[in-house]
Order: sequence, then C-alpha cells, then structure tokens
Amino acid sequence: MSIAAAPGQLAGNPFTILGAAAPSRAERGLEGASPLIPDIPLEDGQQYRFHFDMSKCVGCKCCEVACAEQNNNPAHVSWRRVGEVEGGVYPHTQRLHLSMGCNHCLDPSCMTGCPTRAYTKDTRTGIVLHDADACIGCEYCIWNCPYSVPAFNDERGVVGKCDMCHGRLAEGDAPACVDACPSEALAIEIVDVDQWRSEYRDEANAPGLPSADDTISTTRVTLPEVMPALPEQTDHHRVRPAKPHYSLVLMTVLTQLSISGFASAWLLKLFGGTAAVPAAVVTLALGLAAFAASPLHLGRPALAPLAIRNLRSSWLSREILGLSAFGVAASVYAAMLVADLPGIETVGAVASGIGMFAMYATSRIYLVPGRPSWNSAHTVAEFFLTGAMLGPLLLGALGAMPADLLHSSAACAAIGNILVEIWRFLHFVRSEDHERKATARLLSGPLARLFLLRLGLVAAGAVALPVRGLPVAGFALAAAGALLGRYLFFVSVVPKNMALPFLERRAAA
Amino acid sequence: MSLRRLLGFDTHKEKYAYGNDPDHGYTAAAKIPDRWVPTTCGYCSVGCGMQIGVREGRAVAVRGDERHPVNLGKLCPKGLSEHYSISAASRARRPLLRSPKGHLAPVGWDEAIGIMVEQFRKVQAERGPSALGVVSTGQLVTEEFYALGKLVQLGLGTNTYDGNTTLCMASAVAGYKRSFGSDGPPGAYEDFERADVVFLIGANIADNHPILCHRLERNPRKTVVVADPRVSKTARMADLYLPLKPRSDIALLNGMAHILIRAGLIDLDFVEAHTSGFEALKRHLEKYTPERVASVTGLGEEQVYRAALTYGRAKAPLLAWTMGVNHSTKGTETVNAINNLALLTGNIGRAGASPFSITGQCNAMGTREAGFTASMPGYRKFESAADRQELARLWNIDAGRVPRARGRAYPDIVEACVQGEVRALWVIATNPLVSFPNVDVLRQGFDNLDFLVVQDGFHPTPTTEIADLVLPAAVWGEKEGTYTNSERRVSKVNKAVEPPGEARPDFDIFMAVAEQLGVRDELYPGWTGPEDAFEEWRRVSAGRLCDYSGLSYELLERHQGVQWPFGPKAAKAVNGSRPPTSRLYEDGQFQTGDGRAVLFAVEWEPYPEQPTKKYPYVLNTGRTVEHWHTRTKTREVEILERMSPSAWLEMNPRDARSLGLKPHDRVTVESPRDQIEDLELRITEIVAPGQVFMPFHYEEKNSNRLTQSAFDPISREPNYKQAAVRVVRSGPRTAR
Repeated sequence: MSIAAAPGQLAGNPFTILGAAAPSRAERGLEGASPLIPDIPLEDGQQYRFHFDMSKCVGCKCCEVACAEQNNNPAHVSWRRVGEVEGGVYPHTQRLHLSMGCNHCLDPSCMTGCPTRAYTKDTRTGIVLHDADACIGCEYCIWNCPYSVPAFNDERGVVGKCDMCHGRLAEGDAPACVDACPSEALAIEIVDVDQWRSEYRDEANAPGLPSADDTISTTRVTLPEVMPALPEQTDHHRVRPAKPHYSLVLMTVLTQLSISGFASAWLLKLFGGTAAVPAAVVTLALGLAAFAASPLHLGRPALAPLAIRNLRSSWLSREILGLSAFGVAASVYAAMLVADLPGIETVGAVASGIGMFAMYATSRIYLVPGRPSWNSAHTVAEFFLTGAMLGPLLLGALGAMPADLLHSSAACAAIGNILVEIWRFLHFVRSEDHERKATARLLSGPLARLFLLRLGLVAAGAVALPVRGLPVAGFALAAAGALLGRYLFFVSVVPKNMALPFLERRAAA
Repeated sequence: MSLRRLLGFDTHKEKYAYGNDPDHGYTAAAKIPDRWVPTTCGYCSVGCGMQIGVREGRAVAVRGDERHPVNLGKLCPKGLSEHYSISAASRARRPLLRSPKGHLAPVGWDEAIGIMVEQFRKVQAERGPSALGVVSTGQLVTEEFYALGKLVQLGLGTNTYDGNTTLCMASAVAGYKRSFGSDGPPGAYEDFERADVVFLIGANIADNHPILCHRLERNPRKTVVVADPRVSKTARMADLYLPLKPRSDIALLNGMAHILIRAGLIDLDFVEAHTSGFEALKRHLEKYTPERVASVTGLGEEQVYRAALTYGRAKAPLLAWTMGVNHSTKGTETVNAINNLALLTGNIGRAGASPFSITGQCNAMGTREAGFTASMPGYRKFESAADRQELARLWNIDAGRVPRARGRAYPDIVEACVQGEVRALWVIATNPLVSFPNVDVLRQGFDNLDFLVVQDGFHPTPTTEIADLVLPAAVWGEKEGTYTNSERRVSKVNKAVEPPGEARPDFDIFMAVAEQLGVRDELYPGWTGPEDAFEEWRRVSAGRLCDYSGLSYELLERHQGVQWPFGPKAAKAVNGSRPPTSRLYEDGQFQTGDGRAVLFAVEWEPYPEQPTKKYPYVLNTGRTVEHWHTRTKTREVEILERMSPSAWLEMNPRDARSLGLKPHDRVTVESPRDQIEDLELRITEIVAPGQVFMPFHYEEKNSNRLTQSAFDPISREPNYKQAAVRVVRSGPRTAR
C-alpha cells in the first residue's frame, strides 16, 4: 500500500490524548503513515475495521503481549486473544489460529446493554469506545458481547476493551497488535457501513467465531484457500462452570420473592384474606434489602445510581428503574395499609404492576445472544414461577389465610418450575449449539447432584411440606431450592466466545 | 484493597493513563521511560534488535528496533515481554554456600570466591587438573566466553570444559567442520527473503524463531517446503509438506541427491571445481532409490520426487534446519547430507542459496567462535601445532600451556561425574537438571561431586537447589557485551539497569576468580571491562574466518550489528555506510586444506530406541512459542506463563481411541527409564498415529526423565527425540 496522506491527516484527530502533544511520525524519523493502516481519510458512511488473515497467522501471540503492554493491562486482562481451530486427518491436518480484539460491531450489544452509557460508537471512526469513568463494573457488556470481548479488570473495578488503539491511529501509527504481528496477519481497513451491513456474512464469519449476525462484527477475516472439513475449536472439550455471582443469586431470588409476595398480599387483601399487613411489610423489607444489596456485585458500588442512564436500550437500566419504582410504590402501599387510608387497592395494583414489570425486566437482562442457555423463554418462565412459588409460600409461612389457596398456588408454581427446568435441560441436551449442549453437560456432569437437589428441595418445600402443616420448613426448603437453582443458572451458563487455545490459561502454580 | 477502590471512587486512573512516547507514539503512560537503551534480545539466536525502556532505574518496557536489519522492529512474545524477566522474584541476589547442616546460606563474595578456588584446587591436587569440570552456556556475552575460556583452559588448567551448546548446536558445528573445514553458517537471514525455495527440515520456526516468519513473509516468490513428522505450525506454512517418519531425514536427503544426480540437476562445474568425494558419494547414493526412500520415510515416491525437483530446479534455494536434525545420534551426518545437497547443486555462497543452521541460544555463536571448548578461539584447531603456537604468541604465553586436544564433551563430563573422575564442577548459566537427557543419570553424577558451583541469574532453579555454592549473576539488561546471531551478525548488548542485590556480571565473577587464582594480570593484562576483552578478541580473531578485527563497539552501535568476517579491509570498504549482507564461501574456497568442500557419503540408520510392544509410541519433544528452554526466565513472565502454564502430551485420535482416552484426560508417560505422571492429554491430528509429543520446558513434568542417554558419536549431541514410551491414564493416586 502506498503512503499518500500525511500522517495525522489520516482521519483528523478526534481524540483527546493526555500529556504532551504527540510528536509526528516524521519527527520520530519515520516516513509517512504505517503501511498497515489506511492511507486515505474516512468518508461519511465509512468506518475503520480490523482485517485478520487466518492464512498468515502462526499463533505466536505477539499481538496479545503487545496489546497488554500498550494498555498496561495485567497479564490476566486480555483485550486481544489468540485461539485455535483444528481439523483434518494426519498429515492433512490444519490448525488455524484466530487473533481477535474488539470487532467494533455495527450493532454493538455491549453498547445497547450498558446501563450507564459508558460505550459509544465513535461517529467518525466507528470505533466502539469504552469510558472507564462512566463504567460501574456491572459486567453486563461481557454477557452481551457474543465474542466475550470486554474484560473485567478487578484491580480497577471496571471493564475495558480494545479501542483499536485509536490514539495511535490518529497519529498514523498502526495499533499495537497490528504493529507487532510478524506475519502481517493483522491490518486496519476502511469499510463502507451500508455495504457491509448487506455483505458481512461471507467475511465476518469464520470457524471459531460466533455468528456475526448477533452484532454485525466489522472484522473481515480472510480464510486459507483450503479449509479443513470439520474445523473444531480446540477448547470445546474443556467446559468449566462460570462465575457464581452470589449477590445476583440472592438479589434476583429475593426481589422475585418480594414482588410476588407483595402482589399476593395485595390480592389477599383485595379478596378478604388475612394477615396482609405483616405480609406486605415483610415482603417489602426483603425486597428493599435485596435491592440495597444488589450494588455489591458491581466493581464500583457507590456509582450504582448511574445505572439508570440508559433506559432507551438497556434492560438493566429498566430493571433498576422498575425495582426502584416498585420500592417506592410498595412503600406507599405499606404506609397506607398501616394508616388504613382509602384508595389503597389502586396503589397496590399500581405497585404490583410495576413489580411485575421489574420482574420481567430482570428476566430480560438474561435474554442475550451471548449467553445461549439464558437466552430463551425458559428464563422468563423460571423467574416468574420462582416468584409465584415463593411469594405465596412466604405468606403462608407468615400465617396468612386462606392457607390452602396459598399452598396450592405455590405447589402449582413449583411443579411448573420443575417442569420448566427439566424441559430446559432436555432442550439443551438435544440442542445443536455447542454452548447449550455444554450447559447440559455441566448439569448432567459436575453439577448433576446439585441440579437434582435443587429439584428435590423445590418439590419437598413447595409441594410436600406445606400440606403436611409445615409451612415454615416448606418455605425454607423451597427458598433454598430456588437459591440453588439460581446459582446453577449462573454457573451452568457457557458463554459464546471466540475459539480459545487448548490449554486453559491460568496463573503460575 | 482500599475503601475508595472498594466503593468505586478509585479506578487507578493514573496507572492506566495514556501518553505520548517521543519515539513510539501513543501508549500507556506507565510504559513511557526516562530513556531507551538499545540492545539485542537475550532469548534465541535470531538476535533481534530492541530497546529497553528504563524509568527510575527499572526496566518498564521493551520495543523492537525498527532500524535493526534482523527484525525490522518486530519481536516475538518472549522478546515483547523480556523486561519482566529482569525484575523476576526468583532472581539470585546473594552468594549462597551450603552450610554443614545442608542448607544454602548467604556468604560474602570474597568468601565465596575463596572457597570456590580452594575447593577446585584441592580436587585438582588430589585427582589431577581435569578432575575439575566446567559446563558453560550459550547465554553469556562473547567477551565473557572469551575471558572464561582463558580462565578455564589456562588459569584453572583443565580442559574438562564444554557448554550446553553441545545440547543444541554441536551437530551443526561438527557437520559444518566436516563439510567445509570450519564452523560458521554460510548464509544470512536475507536469504529467507531472497530464496525462491525455502526448504525447512526439522525446524519449527513458527514456534521457535517467529521473527524468521516475518522475514519469510517478506519474500514474494517463495515456495516453502517443510519436512517434519509433526504437523507443526511451520508445516502449515508449507507449499509442500513432507510428513516423514521420525529420523528418516538422511534417507530423504540422500534420496533427493540420488534423484538430482540421475536427473542431471546438479552443478557439475561447481562439484568439480570446489568439492571432493563426488564419485564415492555418487556410488553410495545409488541404493537410495526413490522406492527405497519412500519406504524408509513413509512418504510417497511422488513426494520424494517433488521434494528433490523443487530443490534441484530452484535458482537459489535455502536449506535450513534446527533441532529436528541436530537432536540425533546421526545429527552430524544429517548436516553433512544437507551440505551435500547444497554442494551438489552449487547452492552456497549466493544470495538465497545456503545450507543454514538456525542456532538456538542468543550467543551460542559467540561461544563457538571465542569460547575455547570444541575449538580454540577463532575456530582454531586443538590438533594444529601452528594454531597453538599462534595463540601462545598472541597471548604471550608458552605454547606448551595451550591444550593439544579437546577435553571431555558435555555428556562425557556427566559420565565422568558418574564414574567419580570429575569431582568438582562449575555450572554457568544453564540448568542441566531440566535440560540434560535421561536426567536421572546426571543427577546421580552431580550427587557424586565433592563441590558443585552453580552461577546463575536465577535462584532457585532445580540446579541451584543442589549446588554447594550459588553465585548470583547479572542477566540480560544488566551487563554489556556482544552477541553473535545465526547469520554471524555481531550485535551490541547493553546495560540498562543494575543487577539486584549483590548479583554481578559474569565477567566480574570471572575476573574475581582469576584474581584469586593469581592469573588476572597474566591472562587479562590491564582489563577493566568487557570492551577490553572485545579488543583482545578482535586481535585474536584477525585473519580467521570469524574475523572481528574491523569491528568496534561504536561501529556495532551505529549499524545495529555487523556480520563477520569483518576485517580492516571490510571496515574501510563500508566507509560509514551500513555494511552489505555477507555470505561465506562466495568464492567457492572452503576452509579445508585443499580449499575444497567435502562430500560425505552418509548412511541412514534406524534410530536407536525403536518402539516395542511394551513401549509402543515414539516420543518427540519440542518447544512452544511462549517459553524459553528450562523456563527459568519465562515462567517469571506472567503473561507468558498464563498462556502456557503446564506441559501436555499430544496423541493422535486413533491411538487415544484404542486406549479409551478423552481430551484433557490426565495421563502417565513411561519410558524404559522413568515416568511422568499427570500430563494433560491433547488429542490431535497434529501428530501421526504411533507418535506422541510433549514440550520440554517444564521442570515439573520434565521430558528429560524419559529421554535416552544416546549421543552423536561425532558431535556428542544427545538424541532427545524418539524415545520409546507407553501411555496410560494416570490413576487417582498419581494425579496431583
């Protein structure tokens, strides 16, 4: 590629760089812009993208090390990763390598999901930028990205990701990974956005990469002329349980319990049942406690209020707004109940409606293409059924009447819950997706005992014990079953990801 | 973790800020140093130019040198993270002496050197001078090798002296000496760019020398041929891949020569003018018919023809090799068979055309040239009276003091330890307890010693742990000197930071030992630093093939390395501009007595340890790109260690099926010598049925517990590959 444009004129410099002004490449004794980046400025309707040539990559991982150095990232925070795909029969074997940073997608799901609007897609370059200052470390972008690109930095409490070394590009320098590649397998190109939207399928998809349909990755991949017949990701035999997210286990179950318990109490009161006051107060207290504890899972808990900044596209923002509104409405209801004010039915209806919406919003958070075992109606059903089971059980345990009605509705929900779980498991066993199959493998392998225990606890707690006059024990067992189920929900998820190496990365022994 | 961080008010913003480096542009502010120190990489012998960024006395970054002729700014992942190796927690910081109670305790330098010399002298007085052995390395700077050679051979007066280079390059050295009359790789890295055919045999450059892939990538008209039993990353780069059976390379090379002679694709004019032994070779090759070669190598006849014709029809083919060839009881002869092909076709001494040994360690070449182990300095021969006299004159000593024969080679030193003939040993910058084949034998030999000194930049290593005395050395980045790479390019190595604790440059340690021996003034008159050694070495190398006499530190800095031979004439000719690429034997004149290269008739033989019913698999060993040798450096670099944290075993799916094994199963590999438990199984078509592969870097799962005590009779290089093994699932009790 010839070098025409003067460095720095490349695309103008839309970025703010800290410290001293950048010396030009000429001042550094270099001629023109790097040949590995475009030599013409971007026009309207265009953006930058990575080009990766799989036929050239030898899997040396220079790009990974150079990236970590460029961004001063610790060794366990990878903004670029190299993976492997293998196929063929000896000696016609092919091991292909894949080097991926961020794909700077046309429809970046990290950005739409981010509750604080920490992500922006630069209008000029198309680079998906992440602002660490705005990030609260909720890690929702990691769930949303089908390539598992954003990486949480535990030292900072925020995520971070590849920004295509925008500050280098602006000065005519190639990104660190591109610059480091000894095989010239990486380059930066210009892509026409509209054209790519209609044509991306052929070149954005490659063995070892999740479908580009989810977010329309802009990375163009050149494949070798001869491809193995059945390329397999070499990491696919290695399936490990995911992070448990204990605070989310607790928070989701308790808010579902709270909302459902509250709604049940409201209905009881509406239809002349008893013990609505303590029920409403207890469920409200549980819900508020869970909600108050929920920021604990954030990397930056004190900044939790920022999480309602993206109501336009983030279900996480909507959930938080919903739960807050429920908290307010339910508190008003509880206060009116205690003071015995008129019009309470309407307030209860509104609070219950908001609660249902919040519960729905919670479930929608998990409906992300990047996490296939979550991304189905099972999740919505399971969340509502958990509430429907635990709410009435709690009321029953608190002595609300009529107990029969509460117990039988809880039992119905529990049976529904168990059926949904089994149905979901069988569905995954038969699934074509690696990720869903792998979830089923986890549930029938290392997690099998816990899975059975979870079903048993729910059956015993919500179906068997209450009718035998043990509502408190029943509630306790069912709640334990629900918490265990939610734990399994989190740890059995197998995220979509690019192909990774055969050896699992781990710290030195 | 601070409360501010826990709450999320502190995100370590400063640590993760960006800034502009005056030389390298936009980057993490933490990586912008106070100054950049130019140097040469301390891992392999590709010899990449780089800079170490120093900030407040610490190495905080490295960068490839864009102007360096070898790597043009690129570095491999080890080079890109090399600054972390300097500040490793496991650096040796103080001299340590084994106390009577048996543990290592700190001592002062004077006491350490005093005890060392006393012990050495005692052993030599009781058992003779050669009862003291020295095992050196390819890791020091040339100045240190040169000083050490004199110290050992003249000061300590023992020729029981060899280096770990015998474990990697000895066969290339011996092969070059036999074919061309001298060591010295004839080609240059530029040949990777200029050859029309690049024929790689037993060389996995993608894992071991990735920067050569960069040079290859710049070649627009190449045809790449790769001969390797394993479908390595390099094999995948091939236009023609030859999946030959293990150790059948001599048959392939002879078969290619056979075809080329028959097809008239040899350069008879060159053969007649510049070689000897053609007729005998021709007769010898008659039996290497394509049919027989196909049966020995497991290749199709058509593949053997294609290999031969691709090489034979090339205008300027490069034939390059590394450990697949050298790590063999037939290593030297395999190198001769490679050289034969180059000589028969006249493919030597021209741009692109060369039989080229890609060396291992950063300065294996320096010790070959200046080290006084397998040869005397300047590729002089022990057996040549004229060479001995010349050296005596240069050194102003009596010629009788110059040894008349090479002493024991590395494996023979180990054997002499086992036999009790060598009683004291000085091991410098190498880790034999991981790197020596059939390591249990070496361990037994070392246990026999009266006194073991280990001088290393790192402690503990398995070898320093059993030492009687540990001498802490400065490492790459902490000392000055030169490295010479595979293409004979001498490059400057510079000090960027101070060594930790009391660690000293090896050069200083050698001077201290000489002082204690009372030979410093005689052997190193007026020397104060490495440059004095370089100046003397320049004079000693003058007029030799490896002529350094026209070089100076200043010239090396100015041109980012210069290839030898570089005498005063060459220095004058370049007149300030960068010296052009040089190749040896451009005039067809070789370093033999008659100036003719020798064609050796070499025979294929089956490798020594054939699989049996009990041990049905052939174990191949090799490297992975993230690690270096015995991992003393790279295990300390967290990003590399995380990428490749433990050893694995590769096995073909067919074999795995027959053993009922699944991916990631833990397996035990057992050879007739020992076993390794709890290896992670990688089931892959990368290896052929009947063969298994494991990396050799890991002391915890050391492949050298399985390898054999089988050595090339000429070069003494070990046959690390082709051990017969069996594989079983690790029992629950054996799993760790």
